Amino acid sequence: MTNSPRRLVRVAVFVLLSAASAAHAATDWIGADQGKLHLTAGFSDVEGAGGAGLVPLAFVTGYGSSDSWGANAHVTTVHLNDFQLGAYGVGIGALDRFELSYTRHELNVTGGPLDGLGVDQDIIGLKVKLLGDTLYKQDSWLPQLAVGAQYKKNKGIKDAAAVGLPGLTSPTQLGADDDEGTDYYLSATKIFLGQSFVVNATLRYTKANQFGLLGFGGDREDGYSLEPEAVLAYLFSRKLAGGVEYRSKPENLSVDTEDPAWDAFVAWTPTRNISLVAAYVNLGSILGPVTGETSDQKGAYLSFQVGF
Amino acid sequence: MKHTTFIARLLGGVLLASLIAGAAEAQETLYEQMGGEAKMRAIAEEFTNVLLADPRINFTFANTDLAKFKQLIFEQFCNLTGGPCKYTGRSMKESHEKLNSTNAQFNALAEDLYIALERVNVPYRLQNKLMVMLAPMHKDIVKKGATGKPDLSPPASAQSAK
Repeated sequence: MTNSPRRLVRVAVFVLLSAASAAHAATDWIGADQGKLHLTAGFSDVEGAGGAGLVPLAFVTGYGSSDSWGANAHVTTVHLNDFQLGAYGVGIGALDRFELSYTRHELNVTGGPLDGLGVDQDIIGLKVKLLGDTLYKQDSWLPQLAVGAQYKKNKGIKDAAAVGLPGLTSPTQLGADDDEGTDYYLSATKIFLGQSFVVNATLRYTKANQFGLLGFGGDREDGYSLEPEAVLAYLFSRKLAGGVEYRSKPENLSVDTEDPAWDAFVAWTPTRNISLVAAYVNLGSILGPVTGETSDQKGAYLSFQVGF
Repeated sequence: MKHTTFIARLLGGVLLASLIAGAAEAQETLYEQMGGEAKMRAIAEEFTNVLLADPRINFTFANTDLAKFKQLIFEQFCNLTGGPCKYTGRSMKESHEKLNSTNAQFNALAEDLYIALERVNVPYRLQNKLMVMLAPMHKDIVKKGATGKPDLSPPASAQSAK
């Protein structure tokens, strides 16, 4: 079981690399103009939306300008003390206004009493840029604004028998209300080009427990809550940015004293077809009351991306 | 919640540092910080070289008087950055009327300018300060639904640069 995500990563990386080399030559006849500047295409975040690592930005994914379209695929792995999350997906951006994305999450427990357990989830995302053109309108205080929705479907808990919990197949058995849910968010992004800073604030209306991996709503809180998220990034060069992200999360379950997440990242676009995001990430404690491990789950976040 | 305070402090620190740096620089014009007339002329020269080597947009310069173009770029950048120059060219709107420039072409030109500034060793921080002044020209240069195919028929007036 632990081998299959790795094989999937290898296959995906190979496919994406081939796609990247083809993309450069193919963009002419598929009508993709690759018309945006480096770093302004938005990396695929952990849930597949054009963003940084944990937080969606108001940028539309892909290098297509407002006359064209683009796409970006990502293979992401997050290694924490007792968990490993694989995220694989693809996003398409059209007219620098609409974004559609699909991402698969595969979470594996790699340590502690639940070692061997797994949870999968699918995320379908839609984003629409509402207004603003933060790159060009340097003479305006208006940020770029986008709204988005992410439909998340938890595919269930795997291999619970291995940890002595046969019959545990759904996060609803852990107290979650539902195994599917939709997040809604509003992102405001501003490029302070004169200061070489990018600032983003996001408000997310969500019921998701640990991004949805532990279901939606719960025995403690069953409704939606409004959670703030933020990104502050410094532009080191035309192709390299680095910064910090913060993401607040709801606390809906008694079995999980969910903490806010944060990370410090670098994002690099050596070419328009390849980009990398590397981060030190801290997701706070996960399932502390169950595992007895209440210290923060922290570690490395690495995302390899190709697009045009 | 301890992370919130940590991030807030980090944000505060970074913003404060950039404010202090900004205040110290405010004494000098961007023109002076970038290196004055010699540097501005080198930028205009290198920018022109990069543009002419870029197949995404070089064809739009087919009928351009390059000596005049370089002079106008120099004047424009000098003037915008607070240097002692007057820009004697046409408005951006006027000079790009027949170019039918697309977003991708505008961004290609911006990228070429970044490359030129790199080549003449202008620090990235200052490159961005120049870009801040140029970016809003997007609205005068790019028209909705532009074809990207310039009308290069000779202009009626003698003023043909760019």
